[in-house]
Amino acid sequence: MTETESLKLINEMIGKAKRSYITTGAASIVWGILIVLCSLLTWYQVYTKHFFDFDVWLLVFIAVIPQIYFSVKEKQKKKFVSHDERTMTYLWTTFGICITMLSFYDSKFNPNSATTLFMLMYGIPTFITGGVFKFKPMIFGGLICWVLSIASMYTDFAVDMLFMAACGLFAWLIPGIILWRRYKKQQAC
Amino acid sequence: MEKENFSPQESLQLIQSMIIKARRDMSDNSQYFLLWGWVTFIACTGQFILKNIVHYEKHYLVWWLVIPATIISIYMGVKERKKREASTYIGDSMKYLWMGMGISFFVLSMILSKMGWDTNIFPFFILLYGLGTFISGKLLQFKPLVFGGLAAWALGITSVYFNYDYQMLFAAASILISYIIPAYMLRSKNRSTIN
Repeated sequence: MTETESLKLINEMIGKAKRSYITTGAASIVWGILIVLCSLLTWYQVYTKHFFDFDVWLLVFIAVIPQIYFSVKEKQKKKFVSHDERTMTYLWTTFGICITMLSFYDSKFNPNSATTLFMLMYGIPTFITGGVFKFKPMIFGGLICWVLSIASMYTDFAVDMLFMAACGLFAWLIPGIILWRRYKKQQAC
Repeated sequence: MEKENFSPQESLQLIQSMIIKARRDMSDNSQYFLLWGWVTFIACTGQFILKNIVHYEKHYLVWWLVIPATIISIYMGVKERKKREASTYIGDSMKYLWMGMGISFFVLSMILSKMGWDTNIFPFFILLYGLGTFISGKLLQFKPLVFGGLAAWALGITSVYFNYDYQMLFAAASILISYIIPAYMLRSKNRSTIN
């Protein structure tokens, strides 16, 4: 391969990498809807004192199925994995591990502050993803999670659930919709 | 730089220099790990000694050490930014990763001040230590940091079964394994790579 060809290849890869990020967004929407839904359902149960026979947060596990479907579908389309995507894989896998560990910590100690700690965790990968991609809606989403995490220390559990819903909305659902619209717009061009 | 004055050979040279710079950045990162590693290690062990040996009531005051460490860290960051001609991808990712971790630790401290300093929060701190080092290790493709992160998580889970006093020692051990030892290894590896 000549020097010119090498540079052309590098240029193409940069172009492909830029385009590839626009294709994402579906996973963010799924998680956003799920967190908003579970939080509001929990708030409804506490507010009305009408408790369901099942734990609504188990729905999170159901969301893993479309998550796997989207990631496999996206992986099949791609001919290469960019550095950005690899970073995101590490970041969100680590987030998944930490959320599992936090659930374990929660089940062991059952602290009053569990929702506070969960919201704190939500902010971390969201802020980093926004920063790495210079995507402001996610940077703001991460910051909102942290602010609401602190605020939740001063509120009761029902309000915490509304805060949790707001976290899902601002950290994942709205940024996901923005990404999805960008993707659709790009496809139309 | 004008595109027409930039030959393919020069472009490749530039890419080569960026790779070397990225390696040097990796070496620079070790100084932050060492600074925060030692500060946190001293704070954890110091708090354990003050609480259990000296029986000092305000044992948590040792954590004020993070204030000068933050100032030093900001000073180091500003100095480095002045030196830096261009940012690398790894450098950018690391910047946002540790900015996010820094804010999280700050938020956690605020939560802790409301919850009370004797809350069983150390396992969560250890979880965050592991998170930062595991992702850094993957980004820098440096296994001791990855293993350090995994070890921190293992210590975090184990610490749940011990009382608050011993959780401090678990935190100190996780800092030693996930920050301090890998940071010295990273520094010596990159020094030998650059030379």
